[in-house]
Amino acid sequence: MNDVILRAEDVHKSYDGLEVLRGVSIDVGRGEVKVIIGPSGSGKSTLLRCLALLEPVDSGSVYLEKERLSDLREKQLAAHRSEVGMVFQRFNLFQNMTALGNVMCGLVEVRGLKRREARERAREFLARVGLSDKAGSYPEELSGGQQQRVAIARALVMRPKAMLFDEPTSALDVELVREVLDVMEGLAREGMTMIVVSHELRFAHHVASSILMMDEGEMIEEAPPDRFFSAPSHERTKRFLALVE
Amino acid sequence: MLASFDTHIFWEALTSRPYWHGALLALELTLVSLAAACVIGFFLALGRSSRFRGVRSFVFFYSWIFRATPTLLQLLFIWNGLPQIWSTFANDWFKPFLAAFIALSLNEAAYMSEIIRAGLLSVDPGQELAGKALGMTRPRILRRVIVPQAIRIIIPPTGNEFITLLKLTSLAYVISLHELLTASQVRGAADFHYAEAYSAAVIYYLVIVSVLMAIQAQLERRFTWSSAGRRRRVPVVSVAHDAR
Repeated sequence: MNDVILRAEDVHKSYDGLEVLRGVSIDVGRGEVKVIIGPSGSGKSTLLRCLALLEPVDSGSVYLEKERLSDLREKQLAAHRSEVGMVFQRFNLFQNMTALGNVMCGLVEVRGLKRREARERAREFLARVGLSDKAGSYPEELSGGQQQRVAIARALVMRPKAMLFDEPTSALDVELVREVLDVMEGLAREGMTMIVVSHELRFAHHVASSILMMDEGEMIEEAPPDRFFSAPSHERTKRFLALVE
Repeated sequence: MLASFDTHIFWEALTSRPYWHGALLALELTLVSLAAACVIGFFLALGRSSRFRGVRSFVFFYSWIFRATPTLLQLLFIWNGLPQIWSTFANDWFKPFLAAFIALSLNEAAYMSEIIRAGLLSVDPGQELAGKALGMTRPRILRRVIVPQAIRIIIPPTGNEFITLLKLTSLAYVISLHELLTASQVRGAADFHYAEAYSAAVIYYLVIVSVLMAIQAQLERRFTWSSAGRRRRVPVVSVAHDAR
């Protein structure tokens, strides 16, 4: 098997006594794309946040490449977070910065690049998501699809070892979904390691190395797309697929 | 109707040195007190949501004290009482201006902390999350992302506070600070032309507040995050309403 980039091992996580993750394990190897599906409240987003080091785990471990990160302190964590790109459902672009400013921000504030250098590189990445002409626009002036593409560029410009997508298209109007999925498919083709929470089943079928089904805080099934869709082994997976399709 | 309003005396007062100086002093006191109150208020606002119980209690206690007691009492307490309980202040350098500055900034900080807290809370938590995900540290997220966005919310009520504070500086009259009200009081008492003397002071207050309103409109435009918002001229009328 190719080298594992990001791995969670037996992760438990509770909020106010409610157990959201009950011993979840997942790993993603270099260049793999794993798509997680599952009903709302199943813990998908929480898992992604734990993998992005945004939430401490109660027990279990998170590894980035071979390094165990789940017991690092906040200060050391900040540096490691920039190695994993995160894209949110609601884009979360910095409202007080232009598209270009958003993409530059991590380079300047985290990597310590000079503004000129950062600007050049940010332009490059805006071009990659097809938004060169929107460099000077504020998030408020962009469509949802454009905002999400800027958000992807903002994460990519940090040259992360893996990209995490938390329902990246579910806040978008239907006609804007395609442009975001196109960018993501492009990334997958270029060999980016990705974990995607999404209910875009056609995208999953097309792009995923494997699909994972989560329910009630557990990972109940993992299979390559063909087998996952044609012969899901778990009853809950069958029922969920029937609902989504 | 105007039985005896001597416009000559009015003009003479308006252009006299004590008025000009008094107005300048009132403006200076307002600006430095408000600036200090913003800084103290910012940390109080952060303290309100501190992990440490002691810090939260301190902030609560602070707001309680300064909001529950009259500003005039605080002013007198600092000027007359402080040197008695803390001998460092029983000194020549402890001038009325300094006493007024301490009293007004401590007082105003209690109000500013509420305004700043509301501003910080108004920023979508997703903004901080995105900053964290990029690897930014919390101080940097505050400085680059949260505070700039909160400022847009904070500006209009702060304009109000500026006006309140400007008027509160007239209280410093009782600790013999020669600000604008003192000037008009002295001028009026000189020959009992109070109407003219007070009217001249009214003009100064009106001018200062009008200038502030213009500056506020500029600032609000500066902190509007769309290129359209920056080009658009914000009508002064709507600002006047905000700064009521």
